[in-house]
Amino acid sequence: MRIVVDLNRCQGYAQCVYLAHEVFKLNGTESLTYDPNPDDARRLQVERAAAACPVRAIMIDRLDGAERGAAS
Amino acid sequence: MPEETPWQQALRYANRADPYPFYAELRKTPVARQPDGTYVVSTYREIVALLHDPRVSSDVRRLPARAPAPAEPGAEPITEAVIELEPNIITCDPPEHDRDRRMMTRHFYGPTDAPHQISDLEPDIRRIVAGLLDGMRGKTRIDVVDEFAYPLPVKLICKILGVPLEDEPRFHTWIETALDALDLGPEAASEEMRSRVAGARGSVKELEQFMAGLLRQYAEQPGPGMISAMVHNGGPGGRMSEGVLASNAVLLLFAGHETTVNLIAHSVLTLLRHPEALEKLRRRPDLIVPAVEELLRFESSVQFWHTRSAVEDIEIAGTTIPAGAPIFLVYGSGNRDPERFTDPDRLDLERPDNEHLGFSQGIHFCFGAPLARLEVQVAVGEFVRRVENPRLVVDPPPYRHNQIFRGPRHVLVDIDGIRD
Ligand code: HEM
Ligand code: HEM
Ligand code: SF4
Repeated sequence: MRIVVDLNRCQGYAQCVYLAHEVFKLNGTESLTYDPNPDDARRLQVERAAAACPVRAIMIDRLDGAERGAAS
Repeated sequence: MPEETPWQQALRYANRADPYPFYAELRKTPVARQPDGTYVVSTYREIVALLHDPRVSSDVRRLPARAPAPAEPGAEPITEAVIELEPNIITCDPPEHDRDRRMMTRHFYGPTDAPHQISDLEPDIRRIVAGLLDGMRGKTRIDVVDEFAYPLPVKLICKILGVPLEDEPRFHTWIETALDALDLGPEAASEEMRSRVAGARGSVKELEQFMAGLLRQYAEQPGPGMISAMVHNGGPGGRMSEGVLASNAVLLLFAGHETTVNLIAHSVLTLLRHPEALEKLRRRPDLIVPAVEELLRFESSVQFWHTRSAVEDIEIAGTTIPAGAPIFLVYGSGNRDPERFTDPDRLDLERPDNEHLGFSQGIHFCFGAPLARLEVQVAVGEFVRRVENPRLVVDPPPYRHNQIFRGPRHVLVDIDGIRD
């Protein structure tokens, strides 16, 4: 699966990190790094992370045209 | 008697089941001064603006000792009792807030490079939920609050903190007594509420002493859980003082269950009121993740928060909030604001762009949100999957008294059975 995080929106709340720490990592206090192509086995985790982001910065499978998760 | 403002009406117990028409009225004045000098903020845009405004403080010590007008003579004793507690993270500002929250984060979620203590709890959560549903076998009528919503969060938060589950009946009573006395509306002055407040003062004290005792016990003899870990190992930022630790532990114990109980109970209630949504969720269980967000938007467990005040004059939405004035941010109203959410009174489990305020935003964004979400997703998902033909018995159900932590006292449901 593919994910994109809009790092301009991301406020470093780390909500995604607590729910899918293999995919999202916070370096220091503010800067987020992530795996843009996580294994499909992590889909539920990643969907939970996307829905948990307070500013809805995480988009799932956007590039495939099939919009999933909480992103619009 | 002057006519009550929409806000005062929204706070009346009779309107607890449906405060929304009053919120709609309230939103016509996004920042509305109340007769007691509180500024009530009800629109999404203004709430978000103030959540990110450094001129707004959450420090209770800055709140004017609300001169308990003759109308509310019962109001002060418990307020004192609460404020005697050292400030916890929800009631203080940076830099204390950030330092203490960071320290708590490490103990709650795990070290920054492996913050998975909460996600690791999922098997426990599933086991507890399965046990609760198995326990309903053979019954035809259940109370979703007492038999399903309450036991899960309390077991988890006790385990995480290291609070013995045997003490649950005691602190449950203290919390309920205090909450039933906390009335921020026109009914606070009634005889009945005044006598409740007297009882609540003792309860808050007992809760505080209970926690202080537990801290001392763990100081002598380390044990399982976050409290003991924090007593013994502050980490890079140093250690919290005993008072601050006790106050934050009370906050976690309290916040860690009341809110989650109310969201589970409201979620079941809301789904039973919307059979199409319930059916959709039954057919597509993966919708549980966005569904819980929508359910929280729809019936917010923390309707508003009451400890903020203006540090300096703040101009907003054509009003000036004067320095020192208390500010209430009404999340439950912002979450139904038609300027932000299309068709806000409609439940849409797949609502796009659902940037709701159920867990707030900014620096006080709910500390326990990842835990709460996991609990509610599993509990509501399993309820929908396993309970056969659930039907509401009483609608609207009776509500708890408190306005902030709004939730049903009981949700009676008739059922045909429990699937495997
Ligand atoms: C559905 C469940 C929950 C909801 C709706 C909820 C909601 C909220 C809200 C709206 C705030 C912000 C209050 C403000 O305006 O300052 C908050 C803060 C907080 N919540 Fe939650 N909460 C929930 C569950 C939990 C749980 C399970 C815990 C702990 C384990 C928790 C711990 C906290 C703490 C410690 C804060 C203060 C954070 C800070 O000031 O930095 N909450 N919560
Ligand atoms: C978490 C941190 C808390 C803070 C900062 C806090 C803050 C406050 C404040 C500022 C007031 C005064 C409101 C007013 O002036 O009208 C108040 C009242 C009250 N609080 Fe809290 N509170 C907290 C938690 C709790 C908890 C956990 C309970 C119960 C378990 C509780 C029960 C009450 C009660 C019963 C009142 C009395 C309201 C009245 O009649 O004046 N509070 N609180
Ligand atoms: S939850 Fe959202 S805001 Fe927070 S770090 Fe992740 S992407 Fe950024």
